[in-house]
Amino acid sequence: MRRVRNGAMHLVVAAVAALTLLPFVFVLNNSFRTNSEIYHSFFGLPNALKDMAQAGGAALRGRETAFPVDAGNGDIIAAAPDEALARFGAIAVKGYRMAWRVIRPYMLNTFFVCAVTVLGVGLLGSMSAYVLSRYRFPGSKAVFIYIVSTMMFPGVLTLVPSFLLVKQLGLLNTYWAMILPYIAGGQVFATFVFKSFFDGLPEDLFESARIDGAGHFQIYVNLVVPLSKPVLAVVMIMNILSTWNNFLWPFITNIDGRHHVIASGLYVLATSPHASNMSTLFAAYMASSVPLLLLFIYATKPFIQGVTSGAFKA
Amino acid sequence: MTRPRPALIGHRARFTLSCYGLLLVPLALLTLFVYVPVMWAFTKSLFQFEVGGASRFIGLDNYVEFITRDPTTIPSFLNMLFLTLFAVCTRLSIPLILAKLIHALASERARYFYRVLFLIPVLVPGVAVQLIWAGMIYRDRGMLNEALRAVGLDTLVTGWLSDPSTALVAVAFVGFPFVGGFEVLIYYAGLSSIPQSVTEAAAIEGCVGLQKFFRIDIPMVLSQLKLILILTIIGGVQGFQGIFIMTRGGPGFKTTVPGLWMYFNAFSFQRMGYACAIGVCLFAVIFGLTILNMRYFKSTEELVGRR
Repeated sequence: MRRVRNGAMHLVVAAVAALTLLPFVFVLNNSFRTNSEIYHSFFGLPNALKDMAQAGGAALRGRETAFPVDAGNGDIIAAAPDEALARFGAIAVKGYRMAWRVIRPYMLNTFFVCAVTVLGVGLLGSMSAYVLSRYRFPGSKAVFIYIVSTMMFPGVLTLVPSFLLVKQLGLLNTYWAMILPYIAGGQVFATFVFKSFFDGLPEDLFESARIDGAGHFQIYVNLVVPLSKPVLAVVMIMNILSTWNNFLWPFITNIDGRHHVIASGLYVLATSPHASNMSTLFAAYMASSVPLLLLFIYATKPFIQGVTSGAFKA
Repeated sequence: MTRPRPALIGHRARFTLSCYGLLLVPLALLTLFVYVPVMWAFTKSLFQFEVGGASRFIGLDNYVEFITRDPTTIPSFLNMLFLTLFAVCTRLSIPLILAKLIHALASERARYFYRVLFLIPVLVPGVAVQLIWAGMIYRDRGMLNEALRAVGLDTLVTGWLSDPSTALVAVAFVGFPFVGGFEVLIYYAGLSSIPQSVTEAAAIEGCVGLQKFFRIDIPMVLSQLKLILILTIIGGVQGFQGIFIMTRGGPGFKTTVPGLWMYFNAFSFQRMGYACAIGVCLFAVIFGLTILNMRYFKSTEELVGRR
């Protein structure tokens, strides 16, 4: 009875998972198909792949066939294996090569913006959290409140005035239009998380470091930073995720379109003439998720931690 | 601190100064890029101006126009209300049930596998998801219509996002079945933190299955439910990215929400002051709802604490 129930639960969960991932499966599948194939029938494997399977099957069965197999009326039923493979490769690579040509600058921009932002957020967040957590000085509480109060203001309130500010500062069409506001906003959450972590560290630790003759800076670099690695990983991942996903702000602040990141770039691509070629578009969607997927594989644990743990309890 | 030297200012004051020195950059950035825009949102909403143009003080006229005269206000708030309520209903129920199912699985490895699997959609940029729904699932010869044709339901085939009668619902259903996000993991964490003693005590009392789900699990994950509720409401009131990408508020104003209207006023119609006023109104809505939420939705800790 228990086993039946467990099996049934498995089935339900697997079905929901399938339903969730289904669109992505079709995006992947269609990224290997030509436009006419997609229009001809939406559900269906790439023709090139079918050809290859057929050719491979025939070869496996050891049939002494002279490729290509002809249906008698000139239609080729099965191409030679190497030919089928080459054709599949040509179509598959074509979509991805075209997509890559378009999104490469967007990707590089995203990498740059993400890297600078995440470094800035990690550095500033941990530093101000360290100062606020370990030292007591007049106004330290007020400063902390000043920082975390900004969580109260939603993006919709500041979107338009932020644009006006960035415009007034002459930062439109630069990386700084993204990086500086991202760091300014991102450090808040980082400070909050770091501070609750530092608050939990025993004072003895710092005491003994001080007795050993370590200065403030040494304590920060040699004690605090190594200790806070897990927290740092969580903060960085959450920050990369939000920077990677931000669409509206890069879209607004890049009027000349030269500094688009992947999120705004995908929209530009989808509304451009390139979009008529669906395999390019679908290939671009898939490619845009690869870096995050690699990050996720590399750091599954802090990723899950970041999403679940206290990180979100603002 | 260790080197004594005659100081112009006291030791204590120097220490304080160095603390503020370290905080200088973070605080300067915060002030410039967060507090200045927040202030500007309020002040600029009292003016009528275009970017680079002269501005004219008009008092509360922007607010009066938005609340009383703008013909899009009422329909867009109704759309927002529908989308937000829909999101709240789905995000509070489906991911929780799924998390419960995963949590109840016997094998630890399967539980981990599913937790990882349901996180994968998070890795796809939101823009890509919305473009996929608009460009692959809802399009004329897209996945949904082709599936309907395949099973012979040709009468239901429609341009989901362009048909005025379906557009709003179609927008709401983007992301179906609504489990590809943080919610599942957050609920799962809540369910995992229910103490063993509680579960055992419940089992001894004969409280298992559905009864346990409603009597034990849900009260024990109220903090998580509260968190998701707040996040979903805030996202629902201020979110317009998906609508901007998929329908641009159309057909007509069938899917326009106030946030999108703010965007168009600022960046298409060059009515910056008016857009700021809409932003302030939405902030007021979010602020009010968050306060209500804090006050009337008790988390588990608060409930237990009051007893």
